[in-house]
This record gives sequence, C-alpha cells and structure tokens, in this order.
Amino acid sequence: MGIQDGMTAVAEGLPYVLGGVGVTLAVVGGALTMGLGLGLLLALAQVYGPRWLRRLTGIYVWFFRGIPLLVLLFFFYFGILVSLEIELSPFTIAIVVLGLISSAYQSQILRGAILAVPAGQMKAARAIGMSDARAIIFIILPQALRLAIPGWSNEYTVIMKDSAVTYALGVAELMARANHVASRTYQHFWLYIMVGLIYLLLTYLGTKALRVLEERVAMSGYIR
Amino acid sequence: MTRTQPVLRLENIHKRYGDAEVLKGVSLELFKGDIKVILGPSGSGKSTLLHCINFLVSFEQGRVFLREQAINPANKPELYAYRQKIGMIFQDFNLFDHLTALENVQIGLVRVKKIPKREARERALAELSRVGLAEHVSKYPAELSGGQKQRVSIARALAMDPEVMLLDEPTSALDPELIGEVHAVIRDLAAGGMTMALVTHEIGFAGTLAREILFMENGVIIEQGPPDRILNHAQQERTREFCSKIARLHNRSQETA
Amino acid sequence: MDLSFYTQEVAPAMLRGLWVSIGLILPSAVFGLAIGILAGTLRVYGRPFWKRLSEIYGLLFRGFPLLVQLYLWYFGLPQLGIYLSPFAAAVLGFSLCSGAYHAEYVRGALRAIKQGQLQAARSLGFSRARAVYSILLPQAIRRALPGCGNELIYLIKYSSLAYMVTCIELTGEAKILASMFFKYLEVFFVVGAVYLALVSLASWGLNRLERYVSIPGFECVRR
Repeated sequence: MGIQDGMTAVAEGLPYVLGGVGVTLAVVGGALTMGLGLGLLLALAQVYGPRWLRRLTGIYVWFFRGIPLLVLLFFFYFGILVSLEIELSPFTIAIVVLGLISSAYQSQILRGAILAVPAGQMKAARAIGMSDARAIIFIILPQALRLAIPGWSNEYTVIMKDSAVTYALGVAELMARANHVASRTYQHFWLYIMVGLIYLLLTYLGTKALRVLEERVAMSGYIR
Repeated sequence: MTRTQPVLRLENIHKRYGDAEVLKGVSLELFKGDIKVILGPSGSGKSTLLHCINFLVSFEQGRVFLREQAINPANKPELYAYRQKIGMIFQDFNLFDHLTALENVQIGLVRVKKIPKREARERALAELSRVGLAEHVSKYPAELSGGQKQRVSIARALAMDPEVMLLDEPTSALDPELIGEVHAVIRDLAAGGMTMALVTHEIGFAGTLAREILFMENGVIIEQGPPDRILNHAQQERTREFCSKIARLHNRSQETA
Repeated sequence: MDLSFYTQEVAPAMLRGLWVSIGLILPSAVFGLAIGILAGTLRVYGRPFWKRLSEIYGLLFRGFPLLVQLYLWYFGLPQLGIYLSPFAAAVLGFSLCSGAYHAEYVRGALRAIKQGQLQAARSLGFSRARAVYSILLPQAIRRALPGCGNELIYLIKYSSLAYMVTCIELTGEAKILASMFFKYLEVFFVVGAVYLALVSLASWGLNRLERYVSIPGFECVRR
C-alpha cells in the first residue's frame, strides 16, 4: 500500500465523493437561510424589544450556543423520532438543528451590525414621520445587513465545517461519501485529505463570493 | 384671524436626564412666519428643547400644541402625521448613507406620504434644484461636501411640506467656507415665509435673520426679545455677558478672515 | 417519573463521561494554546520559512473540518503504520485544530501592539527573544484573551466529537445509555444540561479572568 494505491483510490472515488457536494451545499444553504431569518427576528427583538423579550432571546442564544452540535443532533433525531414518533429525514433534522444553532450566532452578528448603524439615522427617519417599523425596514436594516457581511462570511465557514458532523445522522453528504469510499478501498488517509481539501475549496469559494458581494453593495458612493 | 393663534406652542416643558433637570419649565410660541433664534451656552438645553418639539426626546411634563391642538405622542399615527409637519435639520446632517441625494429626498414621499414613485421623483428633483443641487442628485452622502449634505437634508425636510422648520445648529459641523451656502438657503426659506426655530452660535447671522431671540441658560429662558434689544441692550446681565463674549469672538474671527 | 433510572444509570454514566471529557479537554486546551502561541508568534516574528509554515498550518487546520481531522488521525494514520488510541487521536486532533485558531488570535494580538514597544525594549538592551517574552507577550496575552478564551469554550463543545472516533466521553455515554433504555429524550436532555453547565462555568471564569488581568487601555474587545 503506497502513494500509488492512494492516488488511484482518490482518482476513482472523486466523482462519487463530489456527488455529495450538492447535499452539503443544500444543508449549509438551508441552515444559513433559516439562521438568517430566525437570527434577524432575534436580533430585532434584542435591540428593539421590551425587556422580557430581550431576556427570552438571551436565554435562547445562551442555550443554542452552549450545547454541542452532536448532542443537539442526537436529541432532535432520536428524541423526536422515538418520543413523538414523527418520521423526519436526517437531512431535514440536520438543517433544522444547524439552522437553530446558526440563528443564535447570527442574531449576535446582526445585533452588532444594527447597533453599528449611527444613531442619527433613526433620528432622521423619525423626524420625517416614519414609524419605527418603516425606519427599521428602509433605513436601518439596509445598512446593518451590509455591515454584517464579514461576520456572516465567518458564519458560513463554521456551518460548512459543521455540516460534516451531520454524517453522524447518516446524511449523505461529503463526509459520508468519503467514508463510503474509504471503507471499500482502505485508503482512509488519502481520502480524508481529499475530502478535507474539498471542504477547504468550498469554504474559499464561498468567502470569495461574499467578498465580491460586499464590494458590490458597499455604501458611501460606490457601485450599486 | 389666524394671526392670534400660534402655529406651534410649547407649554411648560420639563425634562430630566437621570438626576439632572435639563429643561425647567420652558414655554414657547411660534406664530406663522416667525423666525426665532435660541442662543445660549453649551448645556443650556437648546438642542434638547428642539428635540422635544417633535418628540424625538420624551419629556416628563408639559404639552405641545400644533395650531392649538395638543399632540398626544402615545397615539402613533397622530405622532407620525405631526412629525411630517415639523421639519428638522440636524447638526450632523443624518443623511441616509445608503441612498443617493435624490433617494434621500424621495424616500419620505414614497414611504411615508405614499406618493407614487414617479411623482415623488419629480418633487424630489424640484426640491434639490431649489437648494441648488440639481447636478448632484445621484451622488451618495459620502461624495458630498458638508454644505451640500446639509442642503440635501433641508431639501429632504422641505419635501414633506412642513409647517415649521427646526434647525439644530445647522452650520456648526461645517468648514467655514461652506457655511455661506447653507445660510443662503436658510435666508431664502425665511424670505418665503417659513416659520422657523433656529439654534445657532452664529450671532451675526442670527441678528440679521431673527424676528426674536431667546436666550437660554440652565434649562430656562432667561430673556427674549427683538434682536437689537437682546444683542445690544439686554436687560439681564447673563444675557449681556454671553452676547458680548460671542460678539467679540465673532468679530475676531471676522478680522482674521 | 422513575427517579431511580436517573440516580442509578444516568448519574454514574454522566460522571464517567465527565471524567473522560475533562481528561480530553484539559490536555487539548494546554497543548492547543501552546501550539497556538508558538505558531502565532512565528507568524509575526519568525523568519520567512517559519512564517510560511505557520501560515500553511493555520490555513489547513482551520480549513479542514474538525471531524475530518479526527478521522485522519484515528482511521488514516494506521495506513502509515501509526496506531493511536481513540483518546490519543482525539487529543491530537483537538490540540492541532484549536492551536490553529489560537494562532490567529495571538497573531492579531501581536500585530496590534505598537511598533515602538519592541524598539524601546531593544534600545534598553533586550535581545529580540527576551523582548518578545517579557514585553510583548504580556500585552498580547491580554488582547488575545477574549478570542483564545472563546476558543477554549468551543473546545468544550467540540470535545463531543471524540465519540465519533470511539472515545467514550459524555456524549458517548449518553448515546450508549439512551439506546440501551430507549430513553433518548431524557438522557440527551441531561447530557445537554451538563454541557451547558460546563460552558457557562467556563464563560463565567473567562469573564472573571478578563476583568482580573485588565489594564486601562487594554479593554478586551468582546466579540
């Protein structure tokens, strides 16, 4: 067994493993979207909500940032399946769990971004008679979302890597496929390096794309 | 008939920040076409007073009347409608950074007054021309000079058809050579009969523009009256002290200019 | 509610698991921090070769998912004739991975220190190494504290992945117990609570530490 065998296994297994990219991207995309939607609501609650709501969201954030992903995956998958006897695919559970965790982190990113928008913007919006809701939607959020892009980029890389853990539930993504090939060819070492590089590439492409987005929507007089 | 009824009236406004009482029972009347300038040292509450008028800042005691109708800030629709009638110009402009000059003026029309986009655009262009910025309508705030930014903010406020304009130190954040263009716009407004309350340090400008000057210190209006009286023959000693100090500074800067 | 299940089965399992988890977390934290400080320092002050090496280390070990890294050491190394126990593979994986993140925070902290500090030290006669050790590192540590501290908290959570390489710590014990008694909801609820407690304790400790070492002007910027 040498590099020769390893490279053969990698070459032959690559197409099959790459087939998992779609599932991985779906899981990541789904989780990030859910995280954004929920995270935005949480952030708004934390910045503009009454005290009790702020406390509640604080607890939610503490909870989902404190429990390990794996434990949460098992809890939802086995706990829900067994106890409530609902049939949900591992794929769905993976997106939901990752989405909930991501929403907790994203809420903090968005909260920071909203707070970074100068206070004068809200004042001016109110001064021309905008209701708070309109001011938030048309003045604050457009600016906050732009400010949140770097933090969001970071969140993307985290979720991308965390998606590998969903393998534990049997989601047929990259990690699962790599393992499948490895168990057949016994070239674990090279295959894990290969799949690691694929994750690296996906992470790089994603952050690059987000940087392009950041430049395109930048305020202060540039291209729109 | 309407001459006897003030457009805007403040009755006994009290405001505290924590333990400190910043406004100690301030009352004020603005009749149509009035231009009142509020002078005073830092911390006297002038800026806070303006912010109380359109309820950007809440206050503990007192009432605000528009055409003798008391405004109830708890009634949101009433509050928003009222704010449209009060235009406010800020010291640091507060233009919406993610919008062009045109969009800044337009957004109030489209999102608050619910005017169709095309009509709103026409109106916005007109207002920007009126303040002399027709060639800069597609620029973002970061691409504009301070004087231009302030003029956009005036256009933005005027687009809402206000009955009263509040100007909170409109030129304090501007480089000296840019102050003139903003003064010109304000003078135009005054000539057109706009009712205004202006907070400023520019004593010379205030003297020529104001119908009445109010001198505030420590949350109270110490003295008020026609510009000539307040600036040159003030009855209260504090007023005299302050005005002469400012006048000296102003003259000195004029000499070196 | 059958309390005896909790006292007779869950509690002992949790204690066993906790013991293993802590046994994983502590060495990984220490090694990870040490590696991170070394790599971060080399990245900023080392000669070009070491700089490059450190950069590549960071890129790879922050770019590969932790799970992939763990599998590499446990399932991959045997191909090269190296057989690690689940425990060893886990500690190795956690140390190298978190080390890469610590390196980033240390790097950022060192770069934030003003140029003049090093120059002043040199002019007093400090050798480069001594200057870094006595003057720069104490400042850097305070600036890196929030980031590195957060990384340690992540370590507590990610230690659960040791189960994936058959190292039976808290999560492993929970899974085994739950499948034995079909009480998934209950057991995972408890183990979740244990992790929450650990994480909260660590956060609180980190907060105290930050306040304890704080110097005016070095306010730790919270992420």
